[in-house]
Amino acid sequence: MSMNEFDDTTLRDRIAANPRPALLWLVGAFVLIALELGRIADGVLRLGGAIGLMVDMVVTIPSSVRGAVASSFGAGAGIAAFVITAFILLGIVAIVVKWLFIPWSLVDRLGIDVSTGREDILERLLVTGLLVIVAAALVWTPVGGLFEMLISVLTRGVEAVGSLTTITSREVIPNQGYQLPDGSWEGTFLGLSPAWAWALRVLVVYAYALTWLAWLWKGYEIFREHYREADWTPRDDSINRLRTHYWGVFGFVVVFMFVVMALWAPAVSPVTAEANLYSPYGNEIQYYGDDGVQSITHGDANMNSRSQGGDENVGLMSYDDYDRFHPFGTNTDGKDLFTFLAYGAQVSLVIGLLATVLMAVVATVLALITAYYKGVADLLAIIASDSVIALPRLLLVLLLSVLFMQANHPIAEIYDGGLLLALIFAGTGWPLLWRSVRGPALQVSEQEWIDAAKSYGQSPAATMRKHMSPYIAGYMLIYASLSLGGVIIGVAALSYLGFGVQAPTPEWGRAVFEGKSYVSTSSWHVATLPGLLVVFLVTGFNALGDGIRDAIDPQSDSGDGSAAAATGGGG
Amino acid sequence: MSRWRYFFRRLLLSIPVVLFGLTITFVIVRMGPIDPVAAIIGPEGGAANRARIEQRLGLNEPLWRQYIDFIVGMLTLNLGQSWVIQPSTSVGELLTTYAPRTLWLGFWSVLIAIFVGVPLGFYAGLNPNTGGDYLASFGGIVWRAMPNFWLAIIFLAVLRQSEKFFFGIDWNTIGVTVPGLIGQPPLNFIAVTDWVSLGALSIPIGFYFSPITLAASIKQILPPAVVLGSAAMGNEMRIGRTAVLETINSNYVETAKAKGLRSRAIVWKHVFRNALVPLVPIITNEAFILIGGSVIVEVIFGINGIGYLFYQASIQGDLPLVGSLMFVFIILIVSVNIIQDFLYTILDPRVGYE
Repeated sequence: MSMNEFDDTTLRDRIAANPRPALLWLVGAFVLIALELGRIADGVLRLGGAIGLMVDMVVTIPSSVRGAVASSFGAGAGIAAFVITAFILLGIVAIVVKWLFIPWSLVDRLGIDVSTGREDILERLLVTGLLVIVAAALVWTPVGGLFEMLISVLTRGVEAVGSLTTITSREVIPNQGYQLPDGSWEGTFLGLSPAWAWALRVLVVYAYALTWLAWLWKGYEIFREHYREADWTPRDDSINRLRTHYWGVFGFVVVFMFVVMALWAPAVSPVTAEANLYSPYGNEIQYYGDDGVQSITHGDANMNSRSQGGDENVGLMSYDDYDRFHPFGTNTDGKDLFTFLAYGAQVSLVIGLLATVLMAVVATVLALITAYYKGVADLLAIIASDSVIALPRLLLVLLLSVLFMQANHPIAEIYDGGLLLALIFAGTGWPLLWRSVRGPALQVSEQEWIDAAKSYGQSPAATMRKHMSPYIAGYMLIYASLSLGGVIIGVAALSYLGFGVQAPTPEWGRAVFEGKSYVSTSSWHVATLPGLLVVFLVTGFNALGDGIRDAIDPQSDSGDGSAAAATGGGG
Repeated sequence: MSRWRYFFRRLLLSIPVVLFGLTITFVIVRMGPIDPVAAIIGPEGGAANRARIEQRLGLNEPLWRQYIDFIVGMLTLNLGQSWVIQPSTSVGELLTTYAPRTLWLGFWSVLIAIFVGVPLGFYAGLNPNTGGDYLASFGGIVWRAMPNFWLAIIFLAVLRQSEKFFFGIDWNTIGVTVPGLIGQPPLNFIAVTDWVSLGALSIPIGFYFSPITLAASIKQILPPAVVLGSAAMGNEMRIGRTAVLETINSNYVETAKAKGLRSRAIVWKHVFRNALVPLVPIITNEAFILIGGSVIVEVIFGINGIGYLFYQASIQGDLPLVGSLMFVFIILIVSVNIIQDFLYTILDPRVGYE
């Protein structure tokens, strides 16, 4: 623990000076990772696949722009448009690359002497130039082939790791079996009934996730005690306030449960997604029938487990005729509802997070720029955001998704329309977020330290990043968590109308649609449970947002117009 | 900047907002992934047919020309016609048929939300941290989190079996009898029977009014209106509570108490009036929610309103109609914004000084 206020040691130095607590924590973290290595590798693989797909799409943008321009203005203009688009895209990548991977200044290294404002631009141009060389090398020289080979080897390696068994995998605690006439269970974990085996697996999943949470908290405490320079920061108070804010804690618990359900959807669902959703006729189960142990495909078994009201119903916490356990009952077509909802949670979370992160990034950058420059920039942003707000959001989202889906646009195929929805929600939602943080950003920009930084000759980008963004990050967190709920409701509403996420990818709104005619029958669960989950989840996000707001800014009044605007407007 | 200068600046700003909103609409409708003509004539339309419609819509002209034609056409209220849903019907005619139902729905949903949400919020704010406050606050939050489409389905299911849930009271026959839960409200409860002409002006003198039809109409619209206003109701309650709490703790209320004013007078004269100010944007913001949410509610409750019209136009590819409807929505929302600024300018002298 350092008492010197002007201590300049880096975190790395401080850890090197006293490595024991950090090492202990790391060992624990590695044990935790090792327990779930297979699943983590699986996740990495899917993430990598998604990124690869996105890179592929971005790469096609310059040529499609060339095609569009060339058709109306001639081939020469097309090539010019191609070069310009490619350069702009690489320029955007360059900003990210510079920010993430190049901590030192290239301009300084090369010994070029320019004024501060120019330095930033020159720096970016240099990085863009490097990227142009790399891109050219990838496209036109054998380096590209080599790179692809490297990626495929890596992928195969991760795939091998991904097939490892983990403590939460289905093979370790199987819950699918059949009951012999004497009442004992065959094929399930330790001969438990499928219900208990499933409950045990869910318990293990949540216990594992809780352990991680506790360990991360422990890591933060270790950092605070041994490695942080300051004994106290304002953030400590914020965290303490959040911990005693019961409404916020409730929100956190709900959101945590939801996120774990989404991340471990393959583990908490009683049936695999493959057998339940994608190819029910390609997967068999064993059951004990009239002629002893028989096998039947999931699809055939589903015909007898449909929930369509009256006698044809498999309700909550019950078994069907083939000894399959359904915690939330079955769907109208006999598929397990819990599996549907768990994977649906994944879809909602991915779309919601993607849309919210995109919105938040756009809104933050815009808020910083408008607050720093004010005047014309602010006016233009006001006009743009007011115009987008003037188009009713749900109608705009509906129109766009209908248009893209009926045109069979390639972007509508990714994730069965999920990516498209995220982009649409982000494109229509940023004005609300920007409006919410514009006030705080303007306030910060009036502070003396911004003036000081300006007169000191700091570049605008650096001032915004270092001296303004930390102050609006908290507000962004509040409004982002509020708008996440709005996006989830909106996606569900669109899916209900048939224009959101398409089958077979599960989405909560579609479950409501399928079950809507059976609400007043014995199969009430099909439409009611997904709706209750949405209510629960959105309440959770709102509570978490309230908690964070009270934690960050205890003086603030609880609730204002912009917060309401961020959540409202959904279906 | 003075209050009125601020207001006129906002008024001036709405011109570029409308133009830019129209531009976005143009980009989506004309330059989007779907070709409007192909959507109108379907896959088997002949080339001659195609050329004719292109001619009529002006799609054979260069894009910038189309853009100017579109903007000018909209701004001069030349809204065009429907091509797929009701071919050759002008948009104005469609609006006069469909809009009253949506207005009726919107009117009741705003009214119900205000008359339930605001009093509940004020009650909670006047009795903070009591059981009633907690119940109202928590109820409001959960009520707001309910998705409209789901709430609508649950409403339908519960009301269909109202005998089971409400001690034998049948929703369909209690009070006035309505044909069913789904369907549009009858709006013919008021009509003009006689006109008298005074030169160029016609003045209605004879009225027809049927209280029973009015009652049936209100009863028919109640469930969808409550669903549509649910989010707004929750918001109003929340903001109302905060506003009352804030005003109660302010200095002038303290002064009024010290002066010995009766608490009833304090509440009515000093608390309520000031607490209403922050509710203005919430209530006007409802316009956005109503226009957006009307699609879902109208589709589920089978009301042939504007939201339903827009939904049909989008899914059937009636893009000219979609563009015109979008323009109507833009104008509506921008005017609501102007009204909001106007109310603010009158109610809150602090606006514009920040």
